[in-house]
Amino acid sequence: MFEFAFSSVREAIYMNGHGVYVWTVFLIVITNITYFFINYKNKINKIKKKLDASS
Amino acid sequence: MHPHRRKRLFNIILVLLFSTSGIGLILYSLNTNLDYFFTPTELTNINIPEDKRIKIGGMVLENSVVREQSKVIFTVTDYKNYIEVVYEGIVPDLFKEGSGVVALGFMQNETFYAQEVLAKHDENYMPPNLSINNDN
Amino acid sequence: MIKRFIHQFASPKTYLFQVNKIYRYIFYISLIIYLFSLTWGLLFTPEDFVQGNSYRIIYLHVPASFMSQSLYAIMAITSITYLIWRVKLAAYFIIAIAPIGAMTTFIALISGSIWGIPTWGTWWQWDARITSTLILFIMYLGLISLHNSFSNHEKADKLLSWLVIVGFVNIPIIKKSVDWWSTLHQSASITLTDKPSIDPSMLYPLIGCIIGFFGLIICLVILSSKYQIFKRERKKSWVKEYV
Repeated sequence: MFEFAFSSVREAIYMNGHGVYVWTVFLIVITNITYFFINYKNKINKIKKKLDASS
Repeated sequence: MHPHRRKRLFNIILVLLFSTSGIGLILYSLNTNLDYFFTPTELTNINIPEDKRIKIGGMVLENSVVREQSKVIFTVTDYKNYIEVVYEGIVPDLFKEGSGVVALGFMQNETFYAQEVLAKHDENYMPPNLSINNDN
Repeated sequence: MIKRFIHQFASPKTYLFQVNKIYRYIFYISLIIYLFSLTWGLLFTPEDFVQGNSYRIIYLHVPASFMSQSLYAIMAITSITYLIWRVKLAAYFIIAIAPIGAMTTFIALISGSIWGIPTWGTWWQWDARITSTLILFIMYLGLISLHNSFSNHEKADKLLSWLVIVGFVNIPIIKKSVDWWSTLHQSASITLTDKPSIDPSMLYPLIGCIIGFFGLIICLVILSSKYQIFKRERKKSWVKEYV
C-alpha cells in the first residue's frame, strides 16, 4: 500500500505531464493555508501589543 | 423556553421556510434549463431549432469512433437512443469509447456538428491493474 | 438545560481558556495527519485507471470543497444561536468564519478548474455544481464586505445572521446538484449510504486528508475567533488582564 508510485523523483515531479496541474494546486493550497495562519497570528500579536500599551 | 426566544425561533423557521420555498419554486420552474446537457433520448423527444447551440451528453458508443483526417466522427448514446456527432479538432485525453462525453454544437439533419468536445468522467477511482481484473 | 450549557460556554473568557488548552494538540495532530496523508496520496498511491496522475488533485480538492460547505453550516448554526439566545460569542464566530470559508471555497474552485484542464478539457463550465459553488464564494465575500461596511457591530451581527440563514438554502443545492441535474461534474465518490466508489488504496489517504484539513481549518477558526474577541471586547477589563 505504501509503494512509491514513480520510478524516480524526476518522474514524481513530471507525473506524465500532469505534474504541472497537481503541483500548482498543491502550492496554492499550502501557500493559502500558511498565509492565513501567519496573518491571524500577526493580527493577534498586534492587537495584544496595543492592549499592553493601553493598560 | 422563554416566550421571546420562542418567537425568535419561530421567525427563523419562517424565514427558512420562505427562502427554501422561494428558491425551490425558482429551481422547479427552471427545472430542465439547469441541466448542463441533453441526453440523446431527451433530444429525440423535443424539437430544437437547427440554429440553436446546445450541449449533448452521453457515452461514446463502443467501436463508433472514426477519424478522417482532422475530423472525428462518433456516436453518443444513453444506450436507448443514438446520435452521430461530427467534430473537427482535438479531443481531450479522456475521450474514449465507452466513457462519458459532452459536445457543444448544432443539430442538423439527425447529425450533431460539434464545436467543442469535453470528456466527462465518472466517480469511480481505481488503480489500473485492478480495473483489468474487474473486466475479466 | 440548553440555556445553561450555552451560557457556560458562551462567555468569551471561558471559551478562550478552554480553547487555549487544546489548540496546540489539535494543531499538531491535524498537521501530522494532513502532511502524512497528503504525501501518501500524492506520491504513494497508484495512478487512476482513467485519469492517470491528474486524479491526485482529489487529495487537495475534496477536503477544501468539504470544508467550504461545512463552514457555512457551522456559520448557520452559530447564526441561529445568536438570533435566539443573543450569545455574543456566536456573533463573533460568524465574522470569524466567513474569510476562512471564502478561502476554502476559493481553493475548491481553483483546484477544480485546474483539475478540469487535463480531464474534462475545459477549466470552466456553467454546470449546476460549479455555478452553485461560485455562488457560495460570492456569498462569503458578500458577508465579509457587508460586515465591514457597518460601523455599528450589533446591527451588522443581526443582519449577517439573517443573511447566513437565508443563504443556507444553497448548501443542499450544491450537495445535490450532481443528482438533480445533468452536470459535467461527476457525482459523489464518498456518501454516507453507499459503498465508496473509490478503491481503498486511494480512499484511506483521502479520508486522512479530509480529517487533517478539517483540523487545520478548525485551528484557523480558533485563531480568527480569538482575534475577533480581542478586537470586539478590547475595552473590557478581563481582556486587559488576560493579555
